[in-house]
Amino acid sequence: MAPTIESVYLGNGGLSEGNNKRSNRFVKATWKNNLTALVVDNVELCRVLERENLRAYGVETVAVETGEAAVELVASGSTFNLIFIDIYLPTMSGPEAVRQIRAMGVRSKIIGLTAIITEKDEQDFFAAGIDEFYEKPLDPDWFVPIIREVDNQI
Amino acid sequence: MERNQMHKHIFLMRQSFFDQGLLDEQFIQLEELQDDANPNFVEEVVTLYYRDSSRIILNIEQSLERNPLDFNKLDNYMHQFKGSSTSIGAKKVKAECTQFREYCRAGNGEGCMRTFQQLKKEYAILKRKLENYFQQSRQAGPSETACRPRMN
Repeated sequence: MAPTIESVYLGNGGLSEGNNKRSNRFVKATWKNNLTALVVDNVELCRVLERENLRAYGVETVAVETGEAAVELVASGSTFNLIFIDIYLPTMSGPEAVRQIRAMGVRSKIIGLTAIITEKDEQDFFAAGIDEFYEKPLDPDWFVPIIREVDNQI
Repeated sequence: MERNQMHKHIFLMRQSFFDQGLLDEQFIQLEELQDDANPNFVEEVVTLYYRDSSRIILNIEQSLERNPLDFNKLDNYMHQFKGSSTSIGAKKVKAECTQFREYCRAGNGEGCMRTFQQLKKEYAILKRKLENYFQQSRQAGPSETACRPRMN
């Protein structure tokens, strides 16, 4: 049975962990390294699209709903080359989650995301420790060069 | 309707969405994520959008009934709604979201309500058209362009 959108999205089922278990997936890019990414977005639709976009470009991606879940995942030892995180998260904000992740010594590339950019949002997010900040949704025009940069730096 | 004709009809329907400004390039990006392994991805994502956003619309509706209006809350809801709408390429809906937000910033309650009515209209029109499009696409079956070829 072809994976439904729910089965692709759901937590740690066979499809979300590991390297793109949808073995006949058309992957648009390959990299020198096995790249991993974490997506943090409380809107299911956005989360699914962010994850699918990254997976389509050959990045093994895990998606979580909250800042707390992201912090917990990183604290438990999971490492990611890239983290994409929305500024507006329901309980722990994006900037707060980034602060806590950075405080753990994580040096991964962290990209802040928002649906609407305001100058204050941008400043807060950079102060928290993100590397770059973009308006959603993910667009290959800007995220592929970021992946390439990370891949070249490893 | 003969199958080729059906596919042509669907092709033209899809084209009209872009010509009429209902959808933008973001929708094409969704189509790019559809492949042999996930041939209904676009429809599934759009279904998710309508499911997610119906909840936000209800929240906005309820918030617009309050007196005085909490523009901050309205803005937050609209932020989320705009994000979702942008993700599927709902161009007209997105434009109304932007307009709504401007009225929020200006503290213009009437402007918000007016824009929200227009937004709901555009939202419903798009829903109807996309549902029709997906239904007809399923009836017509896969065309050559329906799924990306596998590339190894």
